[in-house]
Order: sequence, then C-alpha cells, then structure tokens
Amino acid sequence: MKFMENTKINFMAYKSFGFAISSILAVGSIIVLLTGINLGIDFKGGTAVGVSFSEEISIQEVRASLKNVSVENKIYDLSGEEIKYFGEKNDIMIKIKSLDNQPENFGQIVINHLYDSLNEKAPKDKNEFILSLGSVSPKVGSELSGKALWSVISALVLILFYISVRFEFKFALGAILALIHDVVITLGVFSLTGYEITLSTVAAFLTIVGYSLNDTIVILDRIRENMKSSGTVMFEATINKSINQSLSRTLITSLTTLLVIMVLLIYGGEVIRPFSFTMLVGVIIGTYSSIYIASALLAYIYQNSK
Amino acid sequence: MNSAIRNRLLLILFIFGLGVYALLPSLRFALMSEDVKSNLTEEQLNYFETKSIKQGLDLKGGIYIVLEVDLPQLVDNLAKNKDKKFNEFVDDLRDDYNDSTLDFFTMFEEEANNKDIKLPRYFISYGKTKEQIISELSLQSEDSIKRVIEIIQNRVDQFGVAEPTIQKQGNNRVIVELAGIKDPERARDLLQSTALLELMIVKSIESTTSIIRQIDNVATVSVKEDKKESINELFTDEETSGNLTFSSKLISIGGDLAVSADDLTSLKEILDQNEVKQILEATNSLILTSNSSISLVNELGSEEEFYRLYHLFDNAELTGGVIDDAQMRLSQSGVTAGQAVVQVEMNSEGSREWARITGANINNRIAIVLDRKVHMAPVIRSQIFGGGTVIEGLDSIEEAEDIAIVLRAGALPVPVNIAEERTVGASLGADSVSQGTLSMIIGLLLVVIFLVLFYRLSGLVASFSVLWTLILLLGVLALLEATLTLPGIAGLILTVGMSVDANVIIFERIKEELRNGKSVRSAIDSGYERAITTIVDANLTTGIAAAVLYQYGSGPIKGFATVLFWGIVVSMFTAIIVTRFVFDFTTSSRNIEKLSI
Repeated sequence: MKFMENTKINFMAYKSFGFAISSILAVGSIIVLLTGINLGIDFKGGTAVGVSFSEEISIQEVRASLKNVSVENKIYDLSGEEIKYFGEKNDIMIKIKSLDNQPENFGQIVINHLYDSLNEKAPKDKNEFILSLGSVSPKVGSELSGKALWSVISALVLILFYISVRFEFKFALGAILALIHDVVITLGVFSLTGYEITLSTVAAFLTIVGYSLNDTIVILDRIRENMKSSGTVMFEATINKSINQSLSRTLITSLTTLLVIMVLLIYGGEVIRPFSFTMLVGVIIGTYSSIYIASALLAYIYQNSK
Repeated sequence: MNSAIRNRLLLILFIFGLGVYALLPSLRFALMSEDVKSNLTEEQLNYFETKSIKQGLDLKGGIYIVLEVDLPQLVDNLAKNKDKKFNEFVDDLRDDYNDSTLDFFTMFEEEANNKDIKLPRYFISYGKTKEQIISELSLQSEDSIKRVIEIIQNRVDQFGVAEPTIQKQGNNRVIVELAGIKDPERARDLLQSTALLELMIVKSIESTTSIIRQIDNVATVSVKEDKKESINELFTDEETSGNLTFSSKLISIGGDLAVSADDLTSLKEILDQNEVKQILEATNSLILTSNSSISLVNELGSEEEFYRLYHLFDNAELTGGVIDDAQMRLSQSGVTAGQAVVQVEMNSEGSREWARITGANINNRIAIVLDRKVHMAPVIRSQIFGGGTVIEGLDSIEEAEDIAIVLRAGALPVPVNIAEERTVGASLGADSVSQGTLSMIIGLLLVVIFLVLFYRLSGLVASFSVLWTLILLLGVLALLEATLTLPGIAGLILTVGMSVDANVIIFERIKEELRNGKSVRSAIDSGYERAITTIVDANLTTGIAAAVLYQYGSGPIKGFATVLFWGIVVSMFTAIIVTRFVFDFTTSSRNIEKLSI
C-alpha cells in the first residue's frame, strides 16, 4: 500500500502557526495545572478504598452511610470525601484525605463500616467485598513526590546529555523543549479530565518522554544526514525534506502505537485506564511536537545563530 | 546455503530455543488444572513457582505494607526520669517528625536544643554528652529495626505465606509483601501487633480507691460531644457535665471497676493528662482496660458495653521473653470449656521466676497483659511450678492461633506504624489479568493486520518478528525471575506497538532506496545499514527513560521499567537480526526482481 510517499509538504511555512497553537495549549495547560492539579494519595497522603457490591448502588447511598463512621467511639463524618464509581456501578472508590491523629487501620475500618451498614447489598464473603485498599502517610507522600520529580528531571538531563553527545547541543535543546512541551500539555489535558496523578501515571509520563523522543530522533537523524549534503544553507528546505522523507514512518508508527493504546483503553480495565489515557494524549502530542516543535525550533536556532 | 547465513540461522534458532525453553515451565504451569496442581509434590511446586513468570501483588491480590518503626516511641521508652517537660518534648517531636522528611535524629537534636532539653538527665545510661547519647540512641534504633525484621520474618514464616518478601527500606522501615493473602485484615494485625506479653500484679482495692481520689482532684473532664451521651443526659437527671469527675465514669462489676465503651476515649484523655501521668508514675501505677467487653443492661433498659479497668503495678514481673512455646488449644474445663485459649510454656529461667512470683503473691491477683490489654486477672491460689500459663478471653480460633504465632515469634522491641499500604483484592487482580491478556491478543492481531495491509509479504515478516519479540520478552522475564505487574502487562502491549517501529523504519528506508532505482538486493543492504543508527539512537533514549524508572520506582513501576527495557533490547534483536536474516535468506537463493513491500 502506498502511503504518504514522496510528499512535498512545506511544513516550515506553517511553523508560526504551529508555535501559536503550542503556546496556547501550553499556557492553557499551565493555568489548568495551577488552578488544581489532581494529585492522588501517592503524593498527598491519604486513604483510598475500593469496594465491590453485589448489586448496583448509588453514590448517595454510600455518601449517606459515610455520614457517621464510628472509630474507637469517635464519630467521623466522611460524607464530604471523594466517592465515585470504579468502572461498573457495583464498584465504588472512595478517596479520603489524611486526617490528623488518624486512627490505625483507618481504611479497614471504613471498609468494615460500609460492609456492615450496607450489608444487604454486599457480597456474603467479606474478602470479595474488598477490591483494593491503599493508604499513604503524608510523610511517605511527600517523599514519593520528591522522588517522582527527581526521576522526571534526571531523565530529561540524561537525555539532553545523550543527544548532545550523539548530535549537537542545538539538536538537544530543541528535543528537550519538545519533551517539556509534551509533558506539560499532556499533564494539562490529563488534569482537565479529572483523572488523578498516581505513581503509574508518572510511569506513563516517562514513557511518553521516551516515545516522543524516539520520534524526534528519527527526524533529527534525517536532518543530520541531509545536512551532510546540503549544509546549513537553505536550512528550512532541508528540514522540510527530512520531515517529508520520514513522514510515512512517523505516521505508521504512531498509528500502530495508537492502535494498541486504544485497545488498552477499551479492554484493559479500570485500573490501567489513567495510564492508557496518558499514553494516548502523549503519543498524539509527541508526534505533532517532533515535527512542529523539535524541528521548527532547530530552524529558529540555526537562523538566529547565522 | 553459505556458511555465513548458516551461522546466523544457528544463532537465531539458538536464541529462539532458549526463549521457548525459558517459557516452558510458565506455560505448563499456567495450563495445568487445579487438580493436577494440588497433586504436585512440594519440590515440583517449588520448581514451577520459581521457574514461572511471577505475578505481582496487583495481579495476584495480596498486601504490600511499609512498616515504620515508631522512633519517637522508642526514644520515649528508653528515657528515664521522664517529667512534664520531656513528655511535651516527645509529643512535639512526634508531630514535627510526622510532617517532615528529615532524618529523625537530626530533628531530635535540633528540637532538644530548641527546647533546652538536658539529654543526660533522661539518658544517663547511654552517655554523658549529647553527642554520645545521640549516637548511642541511633545505634539502639538500628538494632531495633534489625530485631523487628527478624521477628516479622518469623511471624510470616509461621503464618505460612508462599514467597513472602521482607526487606529493609531506609533506616527505619520494613517492606513486607504477602501475595495471595485472602484476609488482609488478619495479616495486617499479625504484622503490626507488638505481641508484648506482660505478667503484672494487680494492686489492692485500698490503693485503687486512693489513686482514684487523687485523680479526681487533678483531672479535668471534658464535656462529651457525643450524641449518645447527650441523649442519656436528657433522661437522667444528672447535673451539667462540668461537675463530672473521673470516678463518675466508673461502675463496679463483680468487684472490678469498669468503664462504658462510650467513655473509653475520654478515659484515655484523662489518663494522658500530665498531672494524672505524674500521679501514676509517683505511685508506680498503671491503669489498663480489658481486651474484651461485657454487655450489661443499663437503667434505660438498653444494652451497653463495658470494659473492665485494672489498677496494676507498672513493673512487669515477667515478660514474653521467657516464652518457650505457645499453642492454641480448646479449653477442656471450667466456664471457658470449648473456647479457644493459648497455652504458654516458659523456659527454665521463666519457670523459676514464675514459681517465685506466684509463691510470693498468694491470694493476690495477677494480670496477664498482651499489648497493654488485660486478658485475665485470676487470683493466685497456690505457687505454680513448671512454668505454664493460659491466656483466655479470645474471640475466635483464628485470634488464638495468631496470638500463639506472635508469642512464639517474639515481641517487637518497639511499636511499628503503617506508613504505606497497598492491598489488592484477589478478584480485582484476576480481572486485571484477564483484561490484560485480552488486550494483548487483540492488540497483536490488529498490529498484524495493519502490517500485512501496508507491507504485504514483508509485513508478514515484520509480524513474525513482533510475535517473536513477545515470546522472547516473556522468556527473558522468566529467566530473570522478574515479577509481572499490571503496568508490566501494559509495557508488554506497548512493546508490541513500539517494536513495529524498528521494522517500519527499515521498510521505509528500503522502499526509498527502491524508488531511487536500486536493485532489491542493494536496497535491502543499504536500507538496513542506514536504518540501524536511527534505531539505536531512538531506542537508547527510551532505554534511558526505562533505566530512570527502574531506579526510582517501587513494585509495579519497577515491573514496568523491566519490561520496557528488555522490550527495547529484544525488539532490536528481532527487527535488525531476525528480519534481516529472512530477507537475506530469501534473496540469496533466488534472484528476486520485485520485493513485496
């Protein structure tokens, strides 16, 4: 099948347009992130409890039941906490902020309370009732946040170093800016959808860093190769030629990757969904940015250094 | 076939063979029916379990717990001559430490300086200067974490969990992973209970009366906000709660003092007040409640739960350290007949002590205290030889079994708190596995269809290489004895998507060379040559991301990083070496004029 062969699209002609779109998206994302980034218990501390009822249950019912949870004869009102469905309407996920002087085994106490107070809708075997229980102390939460931040930063620095050695620093600069662009916009879209950031979404973000870089490097590689014959004269033309030459590869790879990500999103189940969604957005943005950010920035850098 | 091609074929076949060989135990084990599995010998089962790809906690269900040694409590336990100032210091230290990521002993020193705490006053047995004391205390904390790990290891071994992992994290944490646990609540209690057994003499009624009077004089009793309490007050003509005293919370049940379950919290608050603590310390007193409650019908005709209250000498006569053995058994006689109890046997030193204590305290009561809860307090009728005792008052056989386990394994030297916990129910894990497998099959099929549509016969070659990428990757995971987690499955599926990339880069290059008028043979050669640098560069950078993830991540994330990293290595092998071989092999024997690409 012939697909995007011998294209001669003048990508660089639209680069200002590309920059404008990217800037709007990036600024928008930053605003979204500043107004409220939805951190999961991994980073904020707290308790998350997942339970499975044997029949459909309404959020209101669960909320009403959480109105008074008695722990060691103290009453806690948890009806204001985040309660949502987890995939099906039988399954409920509850996220509770960490409390001062939180009683021991708070998550288990909440599970026991729900099991007792909504007993007619709960399965007979209590161990089938428990889907998942996670609790992170605020102390561990802030440690994990620090580690996550460091991991993203150190990945970026290492990659910057690698590209500088293999290519040139100018190439690396464009590539890294493209990566930051990808991560910021993906984070923004991600936060808008209301998913929360957990350890596994951080893993997805680092994969996007790797993937989007993969794309960028294929194009940069072509540019480097074409520069050998044409030098830096007509630099935009060289870039256009390189992007066109690798266009079918870029699109085919993105399509196959998107294909499997879509499969994961549809069939992969509830637990992995935020991960798959991050990848979906990241791959689309990453493909776009390798053309319009990494290459176009390179064009700017060369123009201005002349 | 020339020798160069034959050698390559042999190498490829060898690696394929190795991959399949590594995967065989996993396949056989996965396809085995439950019946056959239950008939395996221990040795066979062990073989399959170690040689198969392991499933992580998120797939198999189980609990992951990070226990943190309560360092403020440890310091508090080690201190002598504690006064009000010191108690406040420890309380503040605990609050600050829980909100900070700083090292405990750094904070300890700083806080002691700020609060002008003279450390030698409280820790004279650990050194004369501040520096000596701090270094000695931190040695003690290292020692206690070592003992905590040993004891938890013992408990888990006796509980009988397949392949538990227990490892130290940082200076004061232990990570415990128990896969396939059905009852997380029970497992958690087993890990966390301090299991401190203490035998303590109960104080006389006269001294109890006097201590209650003293507490009444100093304690401030807060007005209860509980709804239940306020309803009670509506019906009883008690005066305003401002006049409530400590003794007004107490009732008498069969000669023992008791407190209503509703008043447990306020009792704790009273006993925590500094003035009350000082009175108790000055008289070597300790007030503890019973582990189980008695229900009585109150004056309103409704049932109310009460806990017995005991006034004890704060020095334990004997502790769990002398225990030789502890077993659950069903009580044969008396009022407890048929109930589960724990029979405790002491070592020779313990037996001697026990005989001395019981001999010296005839007609006194002795309390059997486990984790600061009184299980029973019988009157000593005669001297006991032989070092045996029984713990009664347990709810169930499971509870008795677990107490026997923790008593045999020994007490934790210091309490541990749960810093992080992740429990996955078995059903959620099973769902994830089936959904992951389904996604993998569908994803693989779609990719194959896509490749064949685009590249025809060459697409078939690429599909062949993608399939082998998956098989070899699973083989590597089995060889590495790596754990497959849910993000790991996502990584596998992602590898399927991304391993196509190397093939695509190569095919597009070959097509380009063909368009430039090169012959099939030389288009293949130069296509591969030019594609290789691109592929290596692109994959190495993803490899960097994987390595960083591995370094930083815990559990599931590490699983993902492992899959991602080896996925890159394996897909480079199949794309560059295997597909190249197929092309070379088919073009070497015949002169092909048109490539199906």
